[in-house]
Amino acid sequence: MSLPSLASPELFPAAAAPLEEACAPLPRDVAGALLFALSRRPAEDDRPVLMALPRAWLGEYGRPYAPGLAGPPPILAPVATPAEALWALEQGLRSGAVSLALGAVEEATLAQSRRLDFAARHGRAVGVTLSRRLDGLSAARRRWRISSRVGEGDRDDPRAPGPARFSVELVRSRGERPGVWILEQDDETHRLRLADRLAGLRPAAVAGAGVRSGLAA
Amino acid sequence: MVLHALNPAARAAGLRRGQGQADALAMIPHLVCRPADPAADARALEALAIWAERWSPSVSLDASPDGLEGLFLDITGAGHLFGGERALLDRIRDRLAEAGIAARAAAAPTPGAAWALARWSDPEGRPPVVGQDRLRERLAELPLEALRLDAAALAQARRFGLKRIGDLYAMPRAGLARRFRGAGGLDLVRRLDQALGHEGEALTPVRPPARYRAWQAFAEPLGDLAGVEARLPALADDLAAALERDGQGARRLTLTGFRTDGGAPALSIRTGRPGRDAAVWLRLFREAGLGRLELGFGVDALMLAAAEVEPLAVRQAALHDEAAARQAEDLAALVDRLSARLGPDRVLTPETADSWIPERAERWRPALAGPAAALEGEPGRRPILLFDPPEPVEAIAELPDGAPARFTWRRLSRRVIRADGPERLSPEWWRPAADRRAIRTRDYYRVEDEAGGRYWLFREGLYGREYGGGEGERAPSWWMHGVLP
Repeated sequence: MSLPSLASPELFPAAAAPLEEACAPLPRDVAGALLFALSRRPAEDDRPVLMALPRAWLGEYGRPYAPGLAGPPPILAPVATPAEALWALEQGLRSGAVSLALGAVEEATLAQSRRLDFAARHGRAVGVTLSRRLDGLSAARRRWRISSRVGEGDRDDPRAPGPARFSVELVRSRGERPGVWILEQDDETHRLRLADRLAGLRPAAVAGAGVRSGLAA
Repeated sequence: MVLHALNPAARAAGLRRGQGQADALAMIPHLVCRPADPAADARALEALAIWAERWSPSVSLDASPDGLEGLFLDITGAGHLFGGERALLDRIRDRLAEAGIAARAAAAPTPGAAWALARWSDPEGRPPVVGQDRLRERLAELPLEALRLDAAALAQARRFGLKRIGDLYAMPRAGLARRFRGAGGLDLVRRLDQALGHEGEALTPVRPPARYRAWQAFAEPLGDLAGVEARLPALADDLAAALERDGQGARRLTLTGFRTDGGAPALSIRTGRPGRDAAVWLRLFREAGLGRLELGFGVDALMLAAAEVEPLAVRQAALHDEAAARQAEDLAALVDRLSARLGPDRVLTPETADSWIPERAERWRPALAGPAAALEGEPGRRPILLFDPPEPVEAIAELPDGAPARFTWRRLSRRVIRADGPERLSPEWWRPAADRRAIRTRDYYRVEDEAGGRYWLFREGLYGREYGGGEGERAPSWWMHGVLP
């Protein structure tokens, strides 16, 4: 059975590059971007996860809630400035002690993101930066845009919300074609994976998001 | 108003402490008077005591009531480090004079004798250093005031014709004990015993002394951080060697700089596990920012002290896998580095608490305190981001416990297309409410709106049971607690 045309025929790049960027254009997509970032950690790597989030970000979008997280234990660094966030990310990635280091940095220069890339390769870890806008140059190998989607109902009770669903758009990548995929939260691992039940989803659902899609960066 | 303290010129002119101010002005019309500030004096004395820690790890305050305050420095066994006790006292006196403080010093086997000799010695001559063998005869020539007695005891002793300490040696002890009972039970005999060393006297140091210290004094004061950075590795190596000799590791280190003007700024670092690697300490000090040490006009001594030590010889036996052990070490080192620069309370790891109230079910604690525990929760049913405190929401829902059909949050109105709930969480009745209002039951709902956003809302207060629609009752209200992915 072939996938509907709204999802790209290419394979979804499940293996994360050393440095990736996840952008949430609307405030309601920020939680989805966080979940997407957490899902970029390789499943078999159980080293802890480092989150470097500015205190302003925590006040605006909420603080990570441990009973809602799955996976290895997180380390949260509520930093004060973007410079501290970048420093903490670099230290975490280079140390080799964490599997994933994610941070909310809005404007990282090319040089700063290149340092993160080197640090991630050195420590064999994955770095993900969360942002609200996708402008500027970045050394991130892949840049994503995350949008919330209405999901299917719960399997047992159609009136209850089912697994969370997002459309992730690979806006820019080195060596790969851009594309759009629909991801869903898995019931057991609580990570995002390709949605398998797409019956009934019409192409208009993707186009009607109101956000400019395509090769934006 | 009485005179609290005098300078030598005033004393030479015949004024006395405790004399009335009007009386003194009558004697010397051009006398300059300033209001006394005992609190500021006490603080200054404490700061001086901390600065004096460069000579001794245990410095105690001597708040004598006669306006001549002093410090007790325990220099047991350290005399040779300074070229002898006499040389040390000379140096202390010169150093204090440089800082503008005229001082008299004396060294003796007991605090009482040192107190007496310091005050009744010749101010121009060399500071007396008295050993145990000559203690009795040196004390004999001093007046009775040198024993720290109160005024009543002194008056009574004078009536008996006792003027010098030597007069007491021949007296029968029992008679003296019966007749001279001072305030607080410290009678004449006890003070004499303390001075002669027959009875001990406990001194409380102004700061608990660190067991392991490495310090270095410089002939020329260090004016900039480059000098401090250049000297720090040697201190760290000394301290590491001392810890290794005893099989200990340090968890907290403090670097103190002793300034020429009497200040003693300090910088501390902590590590998650005890260690004695000098290179790691240097790196952590650099992360914490050596610039935070305010050097003022210069620092002429540096001290590195290990405030918390733990035995290091025994390793945790649980990690038998070498890769896992190395991973744990790397993680501990990362946490130490992050904590040194950001602060120990800005590197956190979660801990589940035994409560079903969502905001109390987890607690973020400093990662330095120990490794993180595995996550246990309900990832599908709990949000990944929580608002603390919850944000108010206006909702339209079916009574009594229907899910909201529409709600307004942060000035945006949203329509709910799917909802799950209520998950009823009753309050912890054993906890008193912070603001005297009764805490009510919360009904939690997981909702999905028409745009795909998913939220965790609750209504506090049950219709019917906790709210009857009466006057003066608060209607149940809706709140946004978290965002589900």
